[in-house]
Amino acid sequence: MDELELLKKNWKKQEDVLPKLTYQQIYQMILKKSSSIVRWIFIISILEFLLWASLDVVFRLNGMHAKLQKGSIESFGTITTVVYYSILIYFIVRFYLNYKKIETTDSAKVLMNNILKTRKTVRHYIWVNIGFFAFIMMATVGYIIFFTDEFQSQALGNQPPVWLIVVSTLLITLVFVVLIALFYRVIYGIFTRRLQRNYKALEKIDL
Amino acid sequence: MNKELEHSFVASLEQNQNIVHKVCRIYTSDSDSHNDLFQEITIQLWKAYPKFRGDAKFSTWMYRVALNTAITLYRKSKRTIKTSDLDTVNFKIKSEEYDNEVEEQLKLMYVAVKQLNDIEKALVFLYLEDKSYREISETMGISEVNARVKMNRVKTKLKKILNP
Repeated sequence: MDELELLKKNWKKQEDVLPKLTYQQIYQMILKKSSSIVRWIFIISILEFLLWASLDVVFRLNGMHAKLQKGSIESFGTITTVVYYSILIYFIVRFYLNYKKIETTDSAKVLMNNILKTRKTVRHYIWVNIGFFAFIMMATVGYIIFFTDEFQSQALGNQPPVWLIVVSTLLITLVFVVLIALFYRVIYGIFTRRLQRNYKALEKIDL
Repeated sequence: MNKELEHSFVASLEQNQNIVHKVCRIYTSDSDSHNDLFQEITIQLWKAYPKFRGDAKFSTWMYRVALNTAITLYRKSKRTIKTSDLDTVNFKIKSEEYDNEVEEQLKLMYVAVKQLNDIEKALVFLYLEDKSYREISETMGISEVNARVKMNRVKTKLKKILNP
Protein backbone atom coordinates (compact mmCIF):
# COMPACT_ATOMS: atom_id res chain seq x y z
CA MET A 1 0.00 0.00 0.00
CA ASP A 2 1.02 3.55 -0.73
CA GLU A 3 2.53 5.38 2.28
CA LEU A 4 0.04 8.15 2.04
CA GLU A 5 -2.88 5.73 1.98
CA LEU A 6 -1.54 4.07 5.08
CA LEU A 7 -1.30 7.40 6.77
CA LYS A 8 -4.73 8.37 5.63
CA LYS A 9 -6.03 5.37 7.52
CA ASN A 10 -4.18 6.40 10.65
CA TRP A 11 -4.97 10.05 10.15
CA LYS A 12 -8.48 9.75 11.49
CA LYS A 13 -7.33 7.96 14.60
CA GLN A 14 -5.42 10.97 15.84
CA GLU A 15 -8.58 12.86 16.72
CA ASP A 16 -8.56 11.49 20.26
CA VAL A 17 -5.15 12.96 20.99
CA LEU A 18 -5.72 16.43 19.63
CA PRO A 19 -6.08 19.22 22.20
CA LYS A 20 -9.62 20.10 23.23
CA LEU A 21 -10.46 23.68 23.97
CA THR A 22 -13.47 24.59 26.03
CA TYR A 23 -16.28 26.91 24.99
CA GLN A 24 -14.88 29.55 27.32
CA GLN A 25 -11.36 29.32 25.89
CA ILE A 26 -12.66 29.74 22.35
CA TYR A 27 -14.87 32.60 23.44
CA GLN A 28 -11.84 34.40 24.89
CA MET A 29 -10.09 34.01 21.56
CA ILE A 30 -12.68 35.87 19.54
CA LEU A 31 -12.18 38.90 21.75
CA LYS A 32 -8.52 39.20 20.79
CA LYS A 33 -7.10 41.24 17.94
CA SER A 34 -5.79 39.74 14.75
CA SER A 35 -2.08 39.90 13.98
CA SER A 36 -2.44 38.77 10.38
CA ILE A 37 -0.35 40.24 7.60
CA VAL A 38 -3.46 41.87 6.15
CA ARG A 39 -3.84 43.90 9.30
CA TRP A 40 -0.18 44.87 9.22
CA ILE A 41 -0.32 45.75 5.56
CA PHE A 42 -3.32 47.95 6.28
CA ILE A 43 -1.60 49.79 9.16
CA ILE A 44 1.62 50.29 7.23
CA SER A 45 -0.17 51.46 4.12
CA ILE A 46 -2.12 54.06 6.08
CA LEU A 47 1.14 55.25 7.65
CA GLU A 48 2.67 55.55 4.22
CA PHE A 49 -0.21 57.62 2.92
CA LEU A 50 0.14 59.88 5.95
CA LEU A 51 3.89 60.13 5.61
CA TRP A 52 3.85 61.07 1.97
CA ALA A 53 0.94 63.44 2.39
CA SER A 54 2.85 65.20 5.13
CA LEU A 55 5.86 65.71 2.86
CA ASP A 56 3.90 68.38 1.05
CA VAL A 57 3.53 70.21 4.36
CA VAL A 58 7.27 69.90 5.00
CA PHE A 59 7.84 71.33 1.57
CA ARG A 60 5.79 74.36 2.44
CA LEU A 61 7.48 74.86 5.80
CA ASN A 62 11.05 74.76 4.54
CA GLY A 63 10.44 77.55 2.10
CA MET A 64 10.78 75.59 -1.14
CA HIS A 65 7.18 76.25 -1.81
CA ALA A 66 7.48 79.97 -1.17
CA LYS A 67 10.29 80.20 -3.71
CA LEU A 68 8.05 78.63 -6.31
CA GLN A 69 5.17 80.90 -5.45
CA LYS A 70 7.29 83.96 -6.09
CA GLY A 71 7.73 85.43 -9.49
CA SER A 72 6.33 84.30 -12.77
CA ILE A 73 5.25 80.77 -11.90
CA GLU A 74 2.82 81.42 -9.14
CA SER A 75 0.31 79.05 -10.62
CA PHE A 76 2.89 76.25 -10.73
CA GLY A 77 2.64 75.74 -6.99
CA THR A 78 -1.14 75.70 -7.07
CA ILE A 79 -1.21 73.22 -9.92
CA THR A 80 1.26 70.86 -8.23
CA THR A 81 -0.75 70.97 -5.03
CA VAL A 82 -3.96 70.12 -6.85
CA VAL A 83 -2.24 67.33 -8.79
CA TYR A 84 -0.59 66.06 -5.63
CA TYR A 85 -3.79 65.73 -3.64
CA SER A 86 -5.72 64.30 -6.58
CA ILE A 87 -3.11 61.54 -6.80
CA LEU A 88 -3.38 60.94 -3.07
CA ILE A 89 -7.17 60.66 -3.16
CA TYR A 90 -7.13 58.44 -6.23
CA PHE A 91 -4.72 55.99 -4.58
CA ILE A 92 -6.52 55.97 -1.25
CA VAL A 93 -9.79 55.11 -2.99
CA ARG A 94 -8.12 52.36 -5.01
CA PHE A 95 -6.40 51.02 -1.94
CA TYR A 96 -9.66 50.94 -0.02
CA LEU A 97 -11.53 49.17 -2.83
CA ASN A 98 -8.78 46.55 -3.14
CA TYR A 99 -8.63 46.12 0.60
CA LYS A 100 -12.37 45.51 0.82
CA LYS A 101 -12.00 42.67 -1.66
CA ILE A 102 -9.77 40.64 0.66
CA GLU A 103 -11.89 37.75 1.91
CA THR A 104 -10.63 34.68 3.70
CA THR A 105 -13.46 32.68 2.18
CA ASP A 106 -12.05 33.03 -1.33
CA SER A 107 -9.81 30.35 -2.74
CA ALA A 108 -6.17 30.55 -1.65
CA LYS A 109 -5.09 31.86 -5.03
CA VAL A 110 -7.72 34.61 -5.25
CA LEU A 111 -7.02 35.67 -1.69
CA MET A 112 -3.27 35.93 -2.28
CA ASN A 113 -3.81 37.79 -5.51
CA ASN A 114 -6.07 40.33 -3.81
CA ILE A 115 -3.58 40.95 -1.02
CA LEU A 116 -0.75 41.41 -3.50
CA LYS A 117 -2.90 43.79 -5.54
CA THR A 118 -3.55 45.92 -2.47
CA ARG A 119 0.16 46.10 -1.83
CA LYS A 120 0.80 46.96 -5.46
CA THR A 121 -1.48 49.98 -5.21
CA VAL A 122 0.59 51.39 -2.38
CA ARG A 123 3.80 50.61 -4.23
CA HIS A 124 2.56 52.45 -7.30
CA TYR A 125 1.59 55.36 -5.12
CA ILE A 126 5.10 55.55 -3.74
CA TRP A 127 6.69 55.44 -7.15
CA VAL A 128 4.40 58.15 -8.46
CA ASN A 129 5.42 60.20 -5.44
CA ILE A 130 9.11 59.67 -5.96
CA GLY A 131 8.71 60.68 -9.58
CA PHE A 132 6.69 63.69 -8.56
CA PHE A 133 9.23 64.86 -6.02
CA ALA A 134 12.13 64.29 -8.36
CA PHE A 135 10.34 66.39 -10.95
CA ILE A 136 9.62 69.20 -8.48
CA MET A 137 13.21 69.16 -7.29
CA MET A 138 14.55 69.49 -10.84
CA ALA A 139 11.99 72.10 -11.77
CA THR A 140 12.82 74.17 -8.70
CA VAL A 141 16.55 74.04 -9.30
CA GLY A 142 16.05 74.76 -12.98
CA TYR A 143 13.88 77.70 -12.14
CA ILE A 144 16.34 79.12 -9.64
CA ILE A 145 19.21 78.84 -12.11
CA PHE A 146 17.55 80.25 -15.15
CA PHE A 147 14.89 82.61 -13.95
CA THR A 148 15.61 84.12 -10.56
CA ASP A 149 17.29 87.46 -10.35
CA GLU A 150 19.53 86.61 -7.43
CA PHE A 151 21.23 83.93 -9.43
CA GLN A 152 21.36 85.83 -12.71
CA SER A 153 22.69 89.01 -11.19
CA GLN A 154 25.53 87.41 -9.28
CA ALA A 155 28.98 88.12 -10.57
CA LEU A 156 30.01 85.45 -13.00
CA GLY A 157 32.98 84.36 -10.90
CA ASN A 158 30.88 83.76 -7.77
CA GLN A 159 28.47 81.31 -9.19
CA PRO A 160 29.17 77.63 -9.50
CA PRO A 161 28.98 76.29 -13.01
CA VAL A 162 25.50 75.29 -14.14
CA TRP A 163 26.55 71.73 -14.92
CA LEU A 164 27.72 71.26 -11.35
CA ILE A 165 24.35 72.29 -9.98
CA VAL A 166 22.51 70.05 -12.43
CA VAL A 167 24.75 67.07 -11.72
CA SER A 168 24.57 67.48 -7.96
CA THR A 169 20.78 67.80 -8.12
CA LEU A 170 20.62 64.64 -10.17
CA LEU A 171 22.92 62.86 -7.73
CA ILE A 172 20.96 63.92 -4.68
CA THR A 173 17.72 62.86 -6.35
CA LEU A 174 19.24 59.51 -7.28
CA VAL A 175 20.54 58.82 -3.78
CA PHE A 176 17.14 59.75 -2.38
CA VAL A 177 15.34 57.37 -4.75
CA VAL A 178 17.76 54.49 -4.12
CA LEU A 179 17.45 54.89 -0.34
CA ILE A 180 13.67 54.82 -0.48
CA ALA A 181 13.68 51.82 -2.80
CA LEU A 182 16.02 49.96 -0.44
CA PHE A 183 13.92 50.83 2.57
CA TYR A 184 10.82 49.45 0.90
CA ARG A 185 12.53 46.30 -0.23
CA VAL A 186 13.48 45.52 3.34
CA ILE A 187 10.13 46.42 4.94
CA TYR A 188 7.94 44.69 2.41
CA GLY A 189 10.34 41.89 1.88
CA ILE A 190 9.67 40.92 5.47
CA PHE A 191 5.92 41.08 5.08
CA THR A 192 5.32 39.62 1.68
CA ARG A 193 8.19 37.19 1.13
CA ARG A 194 6.24 34.16 2.26
CA LEU A 195 3.10 35.33 0.50
CA GLN A 196 4.95 35.89 -2.78
CA ARG A 197 6.62 32.51 -2.50
CA ASN A 198 3.35 30.69 -1.88
CA TYR A 199 1.61 32.56 -4.65
CA LYS A 200 4.35 31.55 -7.08
CA ALA A 201 4.13 27.93 -5.92
CA LEU A 202 0.38 27.97 -6.55
CA GLU A 203 0.76 29.59 -9.93
CA LYS A 204 3.34 27.03 -10.94
CA ILE A 205 0.84 24.21 -10.43
CA ASP A 206 -1.43 25.67 -13.06
CA LEU A 207 1.30 26.37 -15.60
CA MET B 1 -21.87 41.83 17.47
CA ASN B 2 -24.84 40.20 19.02
CA LYS B 3 -24.69 37.50 21.64
CA GLU B 4 -26.65 34.99 19.64
CA LEU B 5 -24.16 35.12 16.80
CA GLU B 6 -21.29 34.76 19.24
CA HIS B 7 -22.88 31.78 20.85
CA SER B 8 -23.67 29.95 17.62
CA PHE B 9 -20.18 30.60 16.36
CA VAL B 10 -18.31 29.49 19.47
CA ALA B 11 -20.51 26.40 19.81
CA SER B 12 -19.94 25.39 16.18
CA LEU B 13 -16.22 25.96 16.44
CA GLU B 14 -16.01 24.04 19.69
CA GLN B 15 -17.65 21.13 17.96
CA ASN B 16 -15.42 21.31 14.88
CA GLN B 17 -12.17 22.40 16.52
CA ASN B 18 -10.36 19.25 15.40
CA ILE B 19 -10.07 20.66 11.89
CA VAL B 20 -8.26 23.72 13.16
CA HIS B 21 -5.99 21.69 15.42
CA LYS B 22 -5.00 19.48 12.52
CA VAL B 23 -4.16 22.48 10.36
CA CYS B 24 -2.10 23.90 13.23
CA ARG B 25 -0.31 20.61 13.72
CA ILE B 26 0.73 20.54 10.07
CA TYR B 27 1.90 24.14 9.92
CA THR B 28 3.56 24.57 13.30
CA SER B 29 6.13 22.64 15.28
CA ASP B 30 5.67 23.60 18.90
CA SER B 31 2.71 24.16 21.14
CA ASP B 32 3.22 27.93 21.40
CA SER B 33 2.98 28.41 17.66
CA HIS B 34 0.15 25.90 17.57
CA ASN B 35 -1.85 28.02 19.98
CA ASP B 36 -0.87 31.18 18.22
CA LEU B 37 -2.08 29.90 14.86
CA PHE B 38 -5.23 28.49 16.44
CA GLN B 39 -5.93 31.93 17.87
CA GLU B 40 -5.46 33.65 14.52
CA ILE B 41 -7.62 31.14 12.66
CA THR B 42 -10.34 31.62 15.26
CA ILE B 43 -10.26 35.39 14.77
CA GLN B 44 -10.40 35.02 10.99
CA LEU B 45 -13.28 32.54 11.23
CA TRP B 46 -15.12 34.88 13.54
CA LYS B 47 -14.54 37.84 11.21
CA ALA B 48 -15.87 35.87 8.27
CA TYR B 49 -18.75 34.35 10.22
CA PRO B 50 -21.41 37.04 9.65
CA LYS B 51 -21.15 36.27 5.95
CA PHE B 52 -21.42 32.55 6.50
CA ARG B 53 -24.77 31.78 4.95
CA GLY B 54 -25.16 28.23 6.03
CA ASP B 55 -25.52 27.14 2.43
CA ALA B 56 -22.24 25.32 2.90
CA LYS B 57 -21.43 23.02 5.77
CA PHE B 58 -19.74 24.80 8.65
CA SER B 59 -16.82 22.39 8.46
CA THR B 60 -16.35 22.88 4.69
CA TRP B 61 -16.30 26.61 5.16
CA MET B 62 -13.80 26.19 8.00
CA TYR B 63 -11.29 24.32 5.86
CA ARG B 64 -11.01 27.27 3.56
CA VAL B 65 -10.60 29.98 6.16
CA ALA B 66 -8.28 27.85 8.30
CA LEU B 67 -5.98 26.96 5.41
CA ASN B 68 -6.01 30.50 4.04
CA THR B 69 -5.00 31.80 7.43
CA ALA B 70 -2.20 29.26 7.76
CA ILE B 71 -0.85 29.76 4.25
CA THR B 72 -1.42 33.44 3.70
CA LEU B 73 -2.39 35.53 6.68
CA TYR B 74 -0.46 34.05 9.56
CA ARG B 75 2.86 35.59 10.39
CA LYS B 76 5.22 33.15 11.99
CA SER B 77 6.73 34.34 15.22
CA LYS B 78 10.38 35.32 15.17
CA ARG B 79 11.38 31.92 16.42
CA THR B 80 12.71 30.05 13.44
CA ILE B 81 11.89 26.41 13.21
CA LYS B 82 14.92 24.23 13.13
CA THR B 83 14.77 20.73 11.75
CA SER B 84 15.74 19.40 15.15
CA ASP B 85 12.46 20.79 16.48
CA LEU B 86 10.45 18.84 14.00
CA ASP B 87 9.89 15.80 16.12
CA THR B 88 9.26 17.69 19.31
CA VAL B 89 5.54 17.92 18.73
CA ASN B 90 4.34 15.87 21.61
CA PHE B 91 0.71 15.31 22.11
CA LYS B 92 -0.21 13.41 25.17
CA ILE B 93 -1.53 10.00 24.44
CA LYS B 94 -4.66 9.73 26.44
CA SER B 95 -6.04 6.31 25.73
CA GLU B 96 -4.22 3.08 26.34
CA GLU B 97 -5.64 1.55 23.20
CA TYR B 98 -4.06 4.23 21.15
CA ASP B 99 -1.58 2.24 19.21
CA ASN B 100 2.05 3.18 19.65
CA GLU B 101 2.75 2.08 16.15
CA VAL B 102 0.08 4.38 14.82
CA GLU B 103 1.47 7.30 16.77
CA GLU B 104 4.97 6.48 15.57
CA GLN B 105 3.78 6.41 12.00
CA LEU B 106 1.91 9.68 12.34
CA LYS B 107 4.97 11.27 13.85
CA LEU B 108 7.08 10.14 10.91
CA MET B 109 4.46 11.45 8.57
CA TYR B 110 4.42 14.85 10.25
CA VAL B 111 8.18 15.02 9.98
CA ALA B 112 7.92 14.21 6.27
CA VAL B 113 5.06 16.60 5.60
CA LYS B 114 6.92 19.39 7.35
CA GLN B 115 9.54 19.20 4.65
CA LEU B 116 6.99 20.10 2.00
CA ASN B 117 6.22 23.69 1.08
CA ASP B 118 3.11 25.47 2.38
CA ILE B 119 1.04 24.72 -0.70
CA GLU B 120 2.00 21.05 -0.80
CA LYS B 121 1.12 20.78 2.88
CA ALA B 122 -2.34 22.14 2.14
CA LEU B 123 -2.86 19.60 -0.64
CA VAL B 124 -1.75 16.71 1.54
CA PHE B 125 -3.92 17.91 4.38
CA LEU B 126 -7.05 18.09 2.23
CA TYR B 127 -6.22 14.72 0.77
CA LEU B 128 -5.82 13.15 4.20
CA GLU B 129 -9.12 14.73 5.19
CA ASP B 130 -10.65 12.76 2.34
CA LYS B 131 -11.64 15.77 0.26
CA SER B 132 -12.47 15.26 -3.38
CA TYR B 133 -10.18 16.70 -6.04
CA ARG B 134 -12.97 19.05 -6.92
CA GLU B 135 -13.06 20.43 -3.43
CA ILE B 136 -9.25 20.59 -3.28
CA SER B 137 -9.13 22.51 -6.54
CA GLU B 138 -11.82 24.95 -5.37
CA THR B 139 -10.16 25.56 -2.03
CA MET B 140 -6.78 26.22 -3.57
CA GLY B 141 -7.92 28.00 -6.72
CA ILE B 142 -6.22 25.65 -9.15
CA SER B 143 -7.70 23.39 -11.82
CA GLU B 144 -8.87 19.92 -10.88
CA VAL B 145 -6.54 18.21 -13.36
CA ASN B 146 -3.55 20.09 -12.06
CA ALA B 147 -4.51 19.38 -8.46
CA ARG B 148 -4.41 15.68 -9.33
CA VAL B 149 -1.06 15.96 -11.13
CA LYS B 150 0.45 17.94 -8.28
CA MET B 151 -0.90 15.49 -5.71
CA ASN B 152 0.81 12.61 -7.50
CA ARG B 153 4.07 14.52 -7.45
CA VAL B 154 3.71 15.22 -3.77
CA LYS B 155 3.06 11.53 -3.12
CA THR B 156 6.30 10.66 -4.88
CA LYS B 157 8.11 13.31 -2.92
CA LEU B 158 6.75 11.99 0.37
CA LYS B 159 7.70 8.47 -0.56
CA LYS B 160 11.26 9.63 -1.16
CA ILE B 161 11.39 11.43 2.16
CA LEU B 162 10.00 8.44 4.05
CA ASN B 163 12.24 5.89 2.31
CA PRO B 164 15.47 7.68 1.55
